[in-house]
Amino acid sequence: MRFAVDTGGTFTDLVVEDDNGEVRMYKASTTPTDPVAGVLDTLALAAEDYGVSRSDLLARGDMLIHGTTHAINAIVTGNTARTAFLTTRGHPDVLVLREGGRIEPFNFTVPYPQPYVPRSLTYEVVERIMYNGEVREALDEKEVVETIAQLKKAKVEAVAVCLLWSIVNPAHEIRVGELLEEHLPGVPYTLSHVLNPSLREYRRASSAAIDASLKPLMGAYMGGLESRLRDAGFDGRVLVVTTQGGAMDAADMAQSPIHSINSGPAMAPLAGRAYAQADSGADTAIIADTGGTTFDVSLVRGGRIPWTRETWIGQPYRGHMTGFPAVDVKSIGAGGGSIAWVDEGGLLHIGPQSAGAVPGPVCYGKGGTEPTVTDASVVLGWIDPDFFLGGAMSLDREAAAKAIQSQVGDKLGFGLHEAAAAILSVATENMVHAIEDITVNQGIDPRGAVLIGGGGAAGLNVTAIARRLGCERAIIPDVAAALSAAGALMSDLRAEFSGTLYTQTAGFETERVNELLARLESQCQEFIAGPGADSIEQIIEFTAEARYPSQIWEIEVPLRGNRVASDQDVADLRDDFHSTHQEIFAIADNKSEVEVVGWRANVRCRLRDGVEWTVKEAVASDIEVPEHREAYFEGSGLVDARVLRFEDMARGEEVTGPAIIESSFTTVVVDPGASAVRRDSGSLVINPAAEG
Amino acid sequence: MAGSAPLDGVHMAILSKRLEGVCRKMANTLFRTGRSGVLNTARDFSCCIVTADNQLLASAESLPIHVLSGPDLMAAAMQKFHPVLKRGDAFLHNSPYHGCSHPADHTILVPVMDDDGGHRFTMIAKAHQADCGNSLPTTYMGGARDVYQEGALIFPAVQVQENYRDVEDIIRMCRMRIRVPEQWWGDYLAEIGAARIGERELMALAGEVGWDTLDCFAEHWLNYSERRMAAQISLLPAGQITVSSTHDPFPGAEEGVEVKVKLAIDPVSGMIEVDLRDNPDCLPCGLNLSEACSRTAAMVGVYNSIEHTVVPNAGSFRRIRVLLRENCVVGIPRHPTSCSVATTNVADHVSNGVQRAIAELAEGAGMAEVGYAIPPSVGVISGFNPDSADPFVNQVFLGFGAGAASPVADSWVTVGHVGNAGLCYQDSVEVDEQVFPISVKCRNFIPDSGGAGRYRGGNGMRVEFGPEGCDLEVGYVSDGTINAANGVRGGRKGGRAEQYIRRVNGECEIAEACAQVLLRDGESIVSISCGGGGFGSPLERPAAQVAHDLREKWISNEAADSIYGVVIGPGGKVDEVLSANMRAKMGGESKEAPR
Repeated sequence: MRFAVDTGGTFTDLVVEDDNGEVRMYKASTTPTDPVAGVLDTLALAAEDYGVSRSDLLARGDMLIHGTTHAINAIVTGNTARTAFLTTRGHPDVLVLREGGRIEPFNFTVPYPQPYVPRSLTYEVVERIMYNGEVREALDEKEVVETIAQLKKAKVEAVAVCLLWSIVNPAHEIRVGELLEEHLPGVPYTLSHVLNPSLREYRRASSAAIDASLKPLMGAYMGGLESRLRDAGFDGRVLVVTTQGGAMDAADMAQSPIHSINSGPAMAPLAGRAYAQADSGADTAIIADTGGTTFDVSLVRGGRIPWTRETWIGQPYRGHMTGFPAVDVKSIGAGGGSIAWVDEGGLLHIGPQSAGAVPGPVCYGKGGTEPTVTDASVVLGWIDPDFFLGGAMSLDREAAAKAIQSQVGDKLGFGLHEAAAAILSVATENMVHAIEDITVNQGIDPRGAVLIGGGGAAGLNVTAIARRLGCERAIIPDVAAALSAAGALMSDLRAEFSGTLYTQTAGFETERVNELLARLESQCQEFIAGPGADSIEQIIEFTAEARYPSQIWEIEVPLRGNRVASDQDVADLRDDFHSTHQEIFAIADNKSEVEVVGWRANVRCRLRDGVEWTVKEAVASDIEVPEHREAYFEGSGLVDARVLRFEDMARGEEVTGPAIIESSFTTVVVDPGASAVRRDSGSLVINPAAEG
Repeated sequence: MAGSAPLDGVHMAILSKRLEGVCRKMANTLFRTGRSGVLNTARDFSCCIVTADNQLLASAESLPIHVLSGPDLMAAAMQKFHPVLKRGDAFLHNSPYHGCSHPADHTILVPVMDDDGGHRFTMIAKAHQADCGNSLPTTYMGGARDVYQEGALIFPAVQVQENYRDVEDIIRMCRMRIRVPEQWWGDYLAEIGAARIGERELMALAGEVGWDTLDCFAEHWLNYSERRMAAQISLLPAGQITVSSTHDPFPGAEEGVEVKVKLAIDPVSGMIEVDLRDNPDCLPCGLNLSEACSRTAAMVGVYNSIEHTVVPNAGSFRRIRVLLRENCVVGIPRHPTSCSVATTNVADHVSNGVQRAIAELAEGAGMAEVGYAIPPSVGVISGFNPDSADPFVNQVFLGFGAGAASPVADSWVTVGHVGNAGLCYQDSVEVDEQVFPISVKCRNFIPDSGGAGRYRGGNGMRVEFGPEGCDLEVGYVSDGTINAANGVRGGRKGGRAEQYIRRVNGECEIAEACAQVLLRDGESIVSISCGGGGFGSPLERPAAQVAHDLREKWISNEAADSIYGVVIGPGGKVDEVLSANMRAKMGGESKEAPR
């Protein structure tokens, strides 16, 4: 038996998969002060459902895979360790300067972001290594020892070290690490060349600073998680999901906690990929995960989950870069709680402000006064005010209607339904904008992709989004409400190793490149022999980070084999670069040589066989729901829509819109002209049949 | 959405996002594929859509000085010179006498044609080049007496593609006259790629909604933007003021250039007027503004000063009246006046003057002055690579601060200069040392160089770099060595620029402010860039923030004491009583002293 637990901001989701492939889902409230308590609570819910004690249930488990927001929460709330930054003399402002850049050129209301480590805890180290590894200035060890004394005085709890060109010659960083061990024992530190051996000092320094600052906290969290699970009767392996959509042993995660930063959203595309394949045979998919306040988009391209090289904590240019590639997820403030408002020029906006959980949408009756997407959905008849969360909460339709009429309808000269429909239209457009943003960057045409909806609010406008993008299919998996936890069950053990070596396709440094590739491969083999020892299948993939001469932004090109040995291999690499460049940017300079800056090897160890799942559905409350209700659609007006329970739909059953399909966790709206069919997999597959 | 449907606030919101999306795709292509540092690091480019009657409709986030006015003028020049446009045409334009900002900004214009051969829109991609064939290896010829001495090839909307194929004559000309032609070629491809992607996307959108709907949208969208601009101006007080802001003496402008900005706010009619006519005639140097830069620089000051969500397009432009005269340094230049550095130096004094004028007239609006450019740390470097003997020429972006304080926030430190707005990236030392034969000895912010105030201006930076194993030329035009960025409403000035050459024996010599210097192997250049101006009295800055500034080494102990009037006791804590007394005393004195 395997468990996957995803701790979110509001809910902790658990998915249990037994040895026959039967899957069950549970949700409990997250306990922000003690997230492990929420994990144990969901396990107690499951035990009750299975009719056994929690310790008996846990004793049956082989593996628990955990997605956590603990690290990112600590950063956002400023609860990380007091961290010092050691840098090459003359370059103290690496973390202040970052890489420059700004958004919203005319917005001067936003002050400059504080550096991740304050200038007052930044210390310069006398040393200098050049780009070719030459030591221009020797490390002044005596001064380093004096600096360490100051660190002690400043009560520093963690140390990040990033020296220029440590990726070419790490001697000075290594020696500083030894001196820290000797003179500041017990204080965790991170050396940039060990954690993230990549070009660009800011990104490497930022990686090291973030990682070091998380070590005390995440070390304690991972230790606590494991020991409390053991105490509760669990004897299996504890894994944690990484920002890169893989999994890693909890104890290893404690050693480089930066990899847990985006642990949650990185899993959704894993599930999305599986359902796209199972339900439509598609290998290109857009995964749209809609929660209460955010809308997260991720992708599958050609069966692979694309990464972004530039991962920000916070808004681009206003936050900090992690310096690591991550599963490319774009988040925007567009969820059920996003607020609708009309500006003084008469333009309707949705978000980015959100009513959040408190006070929440107007219809919650908890003091919210500004109309939201959820309010509009209630007014349109899409959400049943008496069957929200399976009847756990009843909603105030009248209050929602009043707010929409006065704050949107009257200002636009619209009636109530028109105004509510307009709110959904603009929300849809915002989401489409976010999807286009990420697909443009990755060179994907959304028209050839299937759209996968996840999260509680995905079903409201999934048909509309699919129409607007020109997707032929939209899929709501039966695990949609816990898509990330379901994805965690599908994750592989993963690690990445990289090296910096600059060369050109003309005058290619075959020997040095292959030496490096061999080293990366042996690191992968070591991983396979260690954490990957029990895995079913192991895959190593190599990529080159390449660019045209005098470009400075690299793109990733997969290598065809494990080495670049022959002239033909070099020619293949060059051709592959041209075609990747053409695919992403619509141009290629086919006569040009290519520069390679970095090399990466990815190792994946598959943990599970491709077992078919059957989802055992939770039976919703026994509230009687009428089989039809009035609902409003743009272009059709008020119509009589069929209402169905998700769990009552037989496999193969087809409905044509207008229809509304409800479960305890979600509502799926099938617009007029569209149709939906329940597949054998349990998924609902929507044909948007857009007529334009 | 049917072609005849009336456009309401919803459809307008949707179409505006889609056009914005088109511009973003164009910009992404240029940024990621550009070869020269000025594109792939500084983002010194812009992408936009202009209507068939030459109004700016939509643009991607770009350096402000690049995009407000200019695209309209260039599209008009294209139509004038080429009355018959065809699908597949593209035009190269960099003439400052016909709407371009300055000759280094090569612009590609692509007319978007419907199936009946009707001209509907023009896609524009404009990008600063690493080299444009000037007589010296720099795109900033501050000392050029005229366009002939400047030396750039000038293309007044010259056809460069027909039927989607290059006009090879033009390509050959450029390859013969632009240094490091492969780099130029790569940037040309990036620009053509951007414009063509924009064309493709716009045609797809028209296929979906119809050309007439897009025309209808354009009209409504511009009207909407105008309404919002008028509403914002109506919130400001009526008034009129003249402020001046002075560019340092440069070759050809030995007295310096005092820029006078006469600004009037009329909230009743919802108009702001900027009169630049009472200024010197064009000068025999490269500092003169092109018409595009004169208009745009004035507008930048206005958009920096008002609610930032007002959309900058031809609709909101209707509420800004910019008065210019011919043959004026901040007006409309006559050929062969040189406008080589039109986008930065004197233009910055226009924008800064406008935003300071608005700050003085209207409480809670406007801004202080941003620091001045272009210091050696952001200069154009050139030479021959010692390993390959290949020539290189490129602008580096090793660091500048200079942000101005606003009425509600401390500066965005790394704004660079006002026309840039901080969109520029700053180079990685490791990337520069890998790509060029240089080493960077230091780069750090300088304490006390940000203008003091209730809101603090951005600090300046010290950067020192030099060649490794070869000679290196560095071209720069460093303003602000004498005249620092002004604060406003009691805010103090930012730090001044300075530049030195460190010889092999370690001794430093002062370098000229506008120069093309030659560094020998073992020498280095020390660049001190400007700080930005402060907003409001430093005595009003909360003492806890002053303590934070001190702890973080943005200001010195002495400044905390003598400028901010804050006494910091042991342990970095504010001594509230002593500070209050000192501030009361200093406040009394400063009221008597002239501002």
